[in-house]
Amino acid sequence: MRLPGAWRQAVVVLVKEFVDSCRDKRALVSVLLTVLIGPVITGFMMNRIADRQRAAEEVRIPIAGAQNAPALVEWLRQQSGVEVAPAPAAPELAVKSQDEYVVAIIPPDFAERFRASKPATIKLVADSARADTFPQVDRVRRLFAQYNAQIGSLRLVGRGVSPAVASPVVVQEVEVSTTQQRAARLLAVIPLMILLAAFTGAMQIATDSTAGERERGSLEALLINPVPRSALAVGKTMAAAVTAMIAVTLTAAICAALLRFIPLQEMGMRFRFGAQHFAGMIAAVLPMCLVTAAMQTCVATMARSFKEAQSYMGILILAPMLVGVLGTLYPIDNQPWMFGVPMLGQYVLLSSVLGGRAPSPLAFIGAAVSCVIVAMLLVRVTVALFRDERIIFGR
Amino acid sequence: MIDVVALEKRFGSVAAVNGVTFTAGDGRVTGLLGPNGAGKTTTLRMLYGVMRPNAGTISVDGIDAARQPLAAQARVGVLPDVYGLYPRLTAREHIRYFGELQGLDKATLAERTEELFELLDMKHIADRRAAGYSHGERTKVALARALVHRPQNVLLDEPTNGLDVMSTRAVREIVRKLRAEGRCVLFSSHVMQEVSALCDSILVVAGGRVVAHGSPDELRELGGHENLEDAFVALSGTAAGRAQ
Repeated sequence: MRLPGAWRQAVVVLVKEFVDSCRDKRALVSVLLTVLIGPVITGFMMNRIADRQRAAEEVRIPIAGAQNAPALVEWLRQQSGVEVAPAPAAPELAVKSQDEYVVAIIPPDFAERFRASKPATIKLVADSARADTFPQVDRVRRLFAQYNAQIGSLRLVGRGVSPAVASPVVVQEVEVSTTQQRAARLLAVIPLMILLAAFTGAMQIATDSTAGERERGSLEALLINPVPRSALAVGKTMAAAVTAMIAVTLTAAICAALLRFIPLQEMGMRFRFGAQHFAGMIAAVLPMCLVTAAMQTCVATMARSFKEAQSYMGILILAPMLVGVLGTLYPIDNQPWMFGVPMLGQYVLLSSVLGGRAPSPLAFIGAAVSCVIVAMLLVRVTVALFRDERIIFGR
Repeated sequence: MIDVVALEKRFGSVAAVNGVTFTAGDGRVTGLLGPNGAGKTTTLRMLYGVMRPNAGTISVDGIDAARQPLAAQARVGVLPDVYGLYPRLTAREHIRYFGELQGLDKATLAERTEELFELLDMKHIADRRAAGYSHGERTKVALARALVHRPQNVLLDEPTNGLDVMSTRAVREIVRKLRAEGRCVLFSSHVMQEVSALCDSILVVAGGRVVAHGSPDELRELGGHENLEDAFVALSGTAAGRAQ
């Protein structure tokens, strides 16, 4: 009798595991959710930053008692992006109910005090508990301060005093967290999300087809067939790898869509996401899916139960997190050896691609080759485990 | 035909199978009869290649199972102790999965699947997922899966355990059919009536050894009892005593 080829059997196992896991609706939904939630949250936050940036540049200032200070109101109107509006009847109520984020009140004695060079009051009604409108309120506050300084200088000059006398100290602020940087930090999350997708995507099949198979008692029945253990290990690992690749491609596609949708230019970033970036991301990460799938399948085969396997998966997923967190804390400069380390290599490649600095083809190839080698070593371990009776019968 | 010589399997210090020798011939039904823990399942597991013996030889149709495990496995069909069906796959998909792993081509597989549906009267569950099967239905799927590649040797581990009368009859029917086709059927059981009704020869196993073998009539004589059940108790009891 002709024995079937081991490779063909591996494909048979792959197809069965894939179909089987696709029918597990609950697992499928949870994988989809974990894949979707990261990019969606990031996209949302990027959009908020862009919105706020836009909002802070264009402020609308409702002014009550504008007739009391026509010169000030006229000066405000001349500032770019400022719109002066009539104030609502009850300013404090309007701010409290969030109809307006700020209302300026100019009292009737403003003109009189102003003319007498006494401090003239302007009331600024704002809700400091609202973080989302802080940039606008801050801009309004700075506008008034600017007017204040200008008039003060003019008065000093009128009295023959240098305005410099009135400014013994000049505070120069160096803002570290610019909008641009905040956006860049969010962009840095994308490589991490893609690395995580390579893990979450493979997890379901890796655990269900090994620890789950044994727990259901179906492993023994499977081993009755004339199939080399290597074909089983390869088939199961590849099934996990295929789902990981699907998850990665999906995540990358969503991130790509978000990056096109978010007005990066408005945040002062000159980066324009294109098809070549998407291709670069995919080329960087797909080989790593082999490693994550092989690693998870191997560890799950070792586990004594499905639950135990799942808790191991929770530990394994810390690996890409660690790389990602270290990557954001310590900006990684591209050392050639990094491409040879699975996960770290992919992280560096992804960051370079997203940073608009295309890595050399050699870096891609090196990273892919090292992934394939590591995956093959891990599959060998899985094969050895599948040959161990203590593993098969869970003693 | 299955030939077993001096088979041994130890788990730590426990000898689960301790020198089992027998031959199960073609066109015959051979029964492994013994109390729980006698070593029946362990013996079968070594025969169908999921456990390696510590000593002894197994040959399946003349193929040495130690040297060519896959070739030997290809010649047996097995209904294991635990069926291990996949709850999300249908009966048809179960048969297809094992048929493909056995290396059947598409046409043969399709033809054989229909044949098995007919033989086991399971057309109504062909495209239903296994999650909702009754015990009898699960047994049918597991049997169909075992027979998909027309194995010359069929091993059944307690095949009628927990089955109702109708399903038990169906299983017996199939065992007789397999015998009529000239196949070698080996099945284990601890149920006396089962063994005496079906088997051409019986191996009484206790304490990891074959304590007696022969036709049902011969065993009755050997045990010195008219009733096979009494004979069995007498035979396995002395064996258990000897093992200690």
